[in-house]
Amino acid sequence: MSTVEAKKDCTQARAALEEYLHKELCAEDAADVRAHLDTCEECSAEHHVGETLTSALQGACKDRAPEDLRERLLASLRAAKAQHD
Amino acid sequence: MPTTMLEAPRATLDSPAMTSEQDESGQVDASAAAAARRDDFAEQAMQYADQLYAAAMRMTRNPADAADLVQETLLKAYTAYGSFKPGTNLRAWLYRIQTNTYINTYRKQQRRPFEAPLDDMEEWQIGDAESFTSTSSRSAEAEAIHRMPSGIVKDALQQVPVDFRMAVYWVDVEGLSYAETAEVMETPTGTVMSRLHRGRKLLRGLLADYAREQGIEVPESTEKGKKP
Repeated sequence: MSTVEAKKDCTQARAALEEYLHKELCAEDAADVRAHLDTCEECSAEHHVGETLTSALQGACKDRAPEDLRERLLASLRAAKAQHD
Repeated sequence: MPTTMLEAPRATLDSPAMTSEQDESGQVDASAAAAARRDDFAEQAMQYADQLYAAAMRMTRNPADAADLVQETLLKAYTAYGSFKPGTNLRAWLYRIQTNTYINTYRKQQRRPFEAPLDDMEEWQIGDAESFTSTSSRSAEAEAIHRMPSGIVKDALQQVPVDFRMAVYWVDVEGLSYAETAEVMETPTGTVMSRLHRGRKLLRGLLADYAREQGIEVPESTEKGKKP
């Protein structure tokens, strides 16, 4: 493959990488990206940064509703129901 | 974002639909069914209390406002539950009400200069400057992000403008599809994609800045110093 063609592949793969990461591509397009990632170290490294960012975000956003808020929510829903009935 | 896009669906979500008075015109069955569904609501909705709170924390960035936002969201959802289509995604439906409530109440109150949604696709279409960095510096970047304390990641996310922040939150953390996120944010899917892209890019820049402060070599961020 010529250098020009390889660069074109990279450009296309990069443009689709975020959708690939989020599983938004159709099977055919996803397969194309996957095939490119298997052969291109740089795009593969770029994809790895993307995956790492997603998992870091998932690990960082694990807030839990405080217990007093849960009680408050249940109480306000009960009050709303009482108004309805 | 044109206001009309927010106005139209909000009318349905906010209106006190399906009150018992409305059903007195002979629609006893509908009324009973609606009442039974409302009974079911607390149980259904409370399953999502943690997720609604986490999303509210991303929006409001403080626990007191987040708690108020969740409460207001659930009360609105309770009132509008009759318009919820069973079998569709309750979580996304709740998020949409929460997003509207946030925009209508908290965003106005904050009196900050409106965070212009800069949804233009320009930068999204142009290639990224980061494509010029090498494989090894990317590996360093991934490694740095992987080792980043979660408090730092959370703080960085909170610094991203709210529209971009929430697109990242819905897709990357909550795992909503682009189409679901578009429904929650009441924007076209293309807008979700550009917000997501810019949000992630800003975040990468912020995390790279942090890593560099720690003496870790990572590529120069692409949007550094550029206020969205």
